[in-house]
Amino acid sequence: MKRSIIPLTVTLLTLLFFYIPIILLVAQSFNASRYSGAWTGFTLEWYARLFRDRNIWMALRNSLAIGLGATTLSMVFGTTAALALDRYRSRLQRTHYILIYMPLVIPDILMGMCLLLFFVSLGMKLGLLTIFLAHVTFCISYVAMVVLARLQDFDHSLVEAARDLGATRRQAATRVLLPLLAPGILSGGLLAFTLSIDDFVISFFVAGPGATTLPIYIYSMIKHGAPPVINALSTILLFITFALIITAQMLTWKKEKTT
Amino acid sequence: MHDYLVFDHLTKRYGALKAVDDVSLSIEQGSIFSLLGPSGCGKTTLLRMIAGFEKPDSGRILLNGRDITQLPPNQRQVNTIFQNYALFPHLSVCENIAFGLKVTGHRKADIERETLRMLELVQLERHADSKVTELSGGQKQRTAIARALIKKPNILLLDEPLAALDLKLRQRMLMELDLLHDEIGITFLYVTHDQSEAMSLSDKIAVMNEGHIEQVGTPSQIYEAPCSSFVAAFIGDTNFFDGAVIEVKDSEYCTVRIGGFGDVLCYNDKKLRVGNPVHLSIRPEKFAISRNLPEQRKGRNVLSVTVDDIVYLGTHTKYWVLLNDYRVEINQQHMRYQLDQIPIKHNEQVWLYWNADDGYMLERYCEDDEEMVFQPPEEIGDNPEPTEQHNEEE
Amino acid sequence: MKKNSPSFSGRFNPNEILLSAPSIVWLILLFAIPTILIFLIAFKSADAYGNISTHWTLDNLRALANRHYPMIVWRTFWLSCLTTALCIGGGIPVAYFMARIPRKGRNLLMILIVIPFWTNFLIRIFAWKNLLHPEGMLKQVLVFLHLVAPEQPLLYNPWAVLAVLVYSYLPFAILPIYAAAEKFDFSLLEAAQDLGARYSVALRKVFLPGIRSGIWTAAAMVFIPALGSYVIPDIVGGAGSDMIGNKIAQRAFINRNLPEAAMLAGALSLTVLLPLLIYLFSQRRNKHQLLTGTPP
Repeated sequence: MKRSIIPLTVTLLTLLFFYIPIILLVAQSFNASRYSGAWTGFTLEWYARLFRDRNIWMALRNSLAIGLGATTLSMVFGTTAALALDRYRSRLQRTHYILIYMPLVIPDILMGMCLLLFFVSLGMKLGLLTIFLAHVTFCISYVAMVVLARLQDFDHSLVEAARDLGATRRQAATRVLLPLLAPGILSGGLLAFTLSIDDFVISFFVAGPGATTLPIYIYSMIKHGAPPVINALSTILLFITFALIITAQMLTWKKEKTT
Repeated sequence: MHDYLVFDHLTKRYGALKAVDDVSLSIEQGSIFSLLGPSGCGKTTLLRMIAGFEKPDSGRILLNGRDITQLPPNQRQVNTIFQNYALFPHLSVCENIAFGLKVTGHRKADIERETLRMLELVQLERHADSKVTELSGGQKQRTAIARALIKKPNILLLDEPLAALDLKLRQRMLMELDLLHDEIGITFLYVTHDQSEAMSLSDKIAVMNEGHIEQVGTPSQIYEAPCSSFVAAFIGDTNFFDGAVIEVKDSEYCTVRIGGFGDVLCYNDKKLRVGNPVHLSIRPEKFAISRNLPEQRKGRNVLSVTVDDIVYLGTHTKYWVLLNDYRVEINQQHMRYQLDQIPIKHNEQVWLYWNADDGYMLERYCEDDEEMVFQPPEEIGDNPEPTEQHNEEE
Repeated sequence: MKKNSPSFSGRFNPNEILLSAPSIVWLILLFAIPTILIFLIAFKSADAYGNISTHWTLDNLRALANRHYPMIVWRTFWLSCLTTALCIGGGIPVAYFMARIPRKGRNLLMILIVIPFWTNFLIRIFAWKNLLHPEGMLKQVLVFLHLVAPEQPLLYNPWAVLAVLVYSYLPFAILPIYAAAEKFDFSLLEAAQDLGARYSVALRKVFLPGIRSGIWTAAAMVFIPALGSYVIPDIVGGAGSDMIGNKIAQRAFINRNLPEAAMLAGALSLTVLLPLLIYLFSQRRNKHQLLTGTPP
């Protein structure tokens, strides 16, 4: 059967489109020339400068603290939400579902604006706390959706089997449901953590002066700072991301092979 | 033997649908009892009510005289083999089996001893530490059985336990179940839609249809003396005839006129009188056909018919013969070496004969049930369903 | 029926309340109320210090009508539409290709497509700023090929914004379309050809309808965030490439006029939320189709 070469071509072009900017960025980070264009020699100068920049470490620390906090809380709230949504079919759950669903689909800027107005109206001081609250809000939805998807594939007769064998409701939940749901909750948490670390728009709206997360710091560097240092920072972040994704993939592949 | 498990007027509705409709039944201790019926007949709902996963809207369930209707599943002395076994994928075979004792806080030594005993019973000693995902279908089932039996249940509930297995394995597991039952002697309540499983395993069968019980009896009672057209058609193949009594011969026999077929002699166990309508079910294997006119005997019906279709099946041959509007299915056992016989051919005129004792008068009859009886297609696109020809006579 | 016994009755059971309460309370407080707040504050006025006064006004509504908003709304709309069209146009062949190659290749391609999606949003935009830089490599190549005049800037125009929008949202389009294509039974295409359809016709009449749900999901996944774009035009767009998002941010942070920003945000949420709410209520629950196939 003859096959069109269009899909292959488009796929290759898409990959080029995806990777050319990234590859150039990495190359630039080792370029001695301050402004992009000509290659004037290999240097690690930008990396050295990056590591001397104390503000970056502060911003990173803030991001990690907010990310870990928001992830932990949203894993709990998201899981309970998913359990309720999966188990009950009431009016309350329909409303609940819409509440969970909407933050996923509305543009970030609207979410940022909503929360900014809310915090301002309450007279709250904008800062790390408000960023944390905002992050939990959107992380709950992501965790809930991931866990809900797992629950829909979940064989509910396993819980019945546990009850049948004499387990109380609580035992069935802790010995069967939660251990089997744990991978789902963890991957929901991982997603929440990534999104929290990555978020700029919402954080920017509710940050107020002084509270700086890593993306906010990168933004101000892009707007005002020295490009080569950002190149260096970007390269490091890219490699961390690559490493994480590849490790995660290796783990899932390995798991697929054994089961 | 006394009534061990009793259903007392159980009813369960889902919205407007009555999944279980006023079911009363009692099951003897130590027997294998089957609930048999097509999907959606309510057998699984009934099972789930015994296990405690569903609460009936009305009625009671008594186990050994004690009302268990409202007890939660974990407090019932009843255990279930689930359709897909529902083995815990995060636990090993051994941990799966031990689960029921662990959650109820037994001593460690007891748990270990019992688990070993169970592993031995189902011959899975070598797989004690395997993951359940690595087991074959049969091993999974044995694990599920061991996991349930370790609880020493009063009743073992089996929810279509063989449905996930292929035919050969199914037959083997059926025998294993039977042996297991002989060994441990507790009551089995077996839910299935497969009549051959139910027939080969059960002491008694309840045939269910649309939420109610059609008939309860031993496998041979259900097969030979079905009370309704549903039971007759659901279990095995059969031929339906309808007519009316025209003459009562003596205390045992009567003559029934079947329009378009003939006047046939019937065993009159229902003590019908002249003019009473009759619905007759005659199993295919009760008929015989032959090229030569069979000798006349008391109680034998003989009719001349035309062979319409022949399917050779090794152990026996299926014939469909025509007589006016009736198309009758016949199973002729091969008692002799077939290649020595001159085969009966398509369109040949043959004699159809059977004993008056071998037909059975149905108490209830529903036309829809005829559709369950298998009919080979006639010429494609030729004429409508043969069942419709029956209807025209009425 | 077996899995969940329906509880349609008005009374809730205590377990349900216990499980639902944390997320419901949190989301009502930090999502539902703030959303309503937008529409209230949109009708307030701002005082000279950038605070929200207690005074009710229709000024912000009137402000929507005049000045250069219509131009910006129009630009936001056509940029979003074009982005959606390009993403779906590119997503379909890629998804088709991925669905037809062996599993190993699929996994690899999937990773390659997901990596840009997982890299920091700002870094992706910054990479493009580098690429399109007046002294950057792309510019030099294009000038060398005589495709672009040396004095013509690549950055700071709506086309740069479009390129980066497509770059950012293409993975969002590929993944749901691929999820649908993966489930598609490709023997249907052979059946169509067997019945006399040319391959292109089979693709159009059998494959495209077969992955329709994926395409709709992709469209929603691209169009809605594109409407709310703010950072992309802010970094690679110039003065003439502002979108609604930029105006919201400007009113909020530069002019310190929160009520007018709220009015803009309110108008944007109405255009996004209303169709969505109608969709959600009409689908009842259990259909989170908009999400199926989205990245984890």
